[in-house]
Amino acid sequence: MKTLILENALNHLLSTHQVDISPLEGKTIRLSLQDFPLDVYFICTNNRFFVVTNSDVTDVEITLTMSAFADLLKQAKLHDMLRQDKIIIHGDVKTAQLLVDILQQLDFDFEEVLSQWTGDIIAHQAGKVVSHLKSSDRPISAFKDKIAAILINPKVVK
Amino acid sequence: MDNTTHFGFKDVATQDKQGMVRSVFDSVANKYDLMNDVLSFGAHRLWKHYTIAMANVKTGDKILDIAGGTGDLARAFATKVGNTGQVVLSDINAAMLNEGRKNLINKGVIGVEFVQLSGEQIPFADNSFDCVSIAFGLRNVTDKDQCIREMYRVLKPGGCMLILEFSKTDIVPLEKFYDFYSFNVMPKLGKFIANDEESYQYLAESIRKHPDQETLKKMVLDAGFGLCEYHNLSGGIVALHKGIKTQ
Repeated sequence: MKTLILENALNHLLSTHQVDISPLEGKTIRLSLQDFPLDVYFICTNNRFFVVTNSDVTDVEITLTMSAFADLLKQAKLHDMLRQDKIIIHGDVKTAQLLVDILQQLDFDFEEVLSQWTGDIIAHQAGKVVSHLKSSDRPISAFKDKIAAILINPKVVK
Repeated sequence: MDNTTHFGFKDVATQDKQGMVRSVFDSVANKYDLMNDVLSFGAHRLWKHYTIAMANVKTGDKILDIAGGTGDLARAFATKVGNTGQVVLSDINAAMLNEGRKNLINKGVIGVEFVQLSGEQIPFADNSFDCVSIAFGLRNVTDKDQCIREMYRVLKPGGCMLILEFSKTDIVPLEKFYDFYSFNVMPKLGKFIANDEESYQYLAESIRKHPDQETLKKMVLDAGFGLCEYHNLSGGIVALHKGIKTQ
């Protein structure tokens, strides 16, 4: 399910921002988050991204934490993050840089993307959960706590 | 060389299977949608919805839906590709294709093209489509490997193939219920609603003869697809195989 959500969200953002992804055509990029259960491959082909959980071929493997990933999306420089050991790259660094350049052209409005499938109210609630996660040191526990709180009494969750 | 194939649990001459499958669908065509809803408790709509979401289709794409029957997938694809795209709804069975045409017209869907074709010999040029789908059709095809090879051939490099089909559940309690339901309830419902018990007996048998998830994945990779993943739905009763024609 996570590949489905990622694939749809990413391609939606690419089409709404009219980003040219042709420099990555034919490339396969593995992205692993160290502190979140996400280990996926982005395959750029036919002018879109496919997101899958397995691939025999990989051009570059990128390993980083969730907060480092968030920094990358917020225009952090790849070489600075490499120097600070916030990101590990195996393989073609140029391909990794191209992916980062593309991601940095996108405006990640999480609620806007989610609202396509869930409607505005649920997307807004989910956005509040994400905000809470961003400010937490233990995101998975914080996520569980937040979901439990919403399910028990959605009105008091601010 | 073995000149027989299976038709449900029966062994039949290879050249006879296509005609026998045609008889089944001639018989059930006008009650097909109703029976799908009844037999799957409406779940087929969710399975197809998931398939569309997994298709990674965008505005302007060219889509071929094989064994598209009454047009559920074609209708959703037509919305996704918009006026600049193209959707071809195909089926080997004229009665099913006519039901599809009627359905789409009744639902106000225009622009879908209709082609009667066999999945084993697709009459389109190489590298023609961004996405090729077949939903609940592959198990009725006599030479499944040839059908998958044809889907590969007509896909553009980077194109995506989707096979939605009944598969094998490995959840034991569900398997027991499913076996009882398939062989005892489904044919009776077929008799009661569509006045056709035999066709629904064939449906249950053909599902059991269809390759399981891993076997079908290997068939997809053997056909040339660079990548194939499958997603079990409803505990594996149905599986969606997604193949990508990598460059």
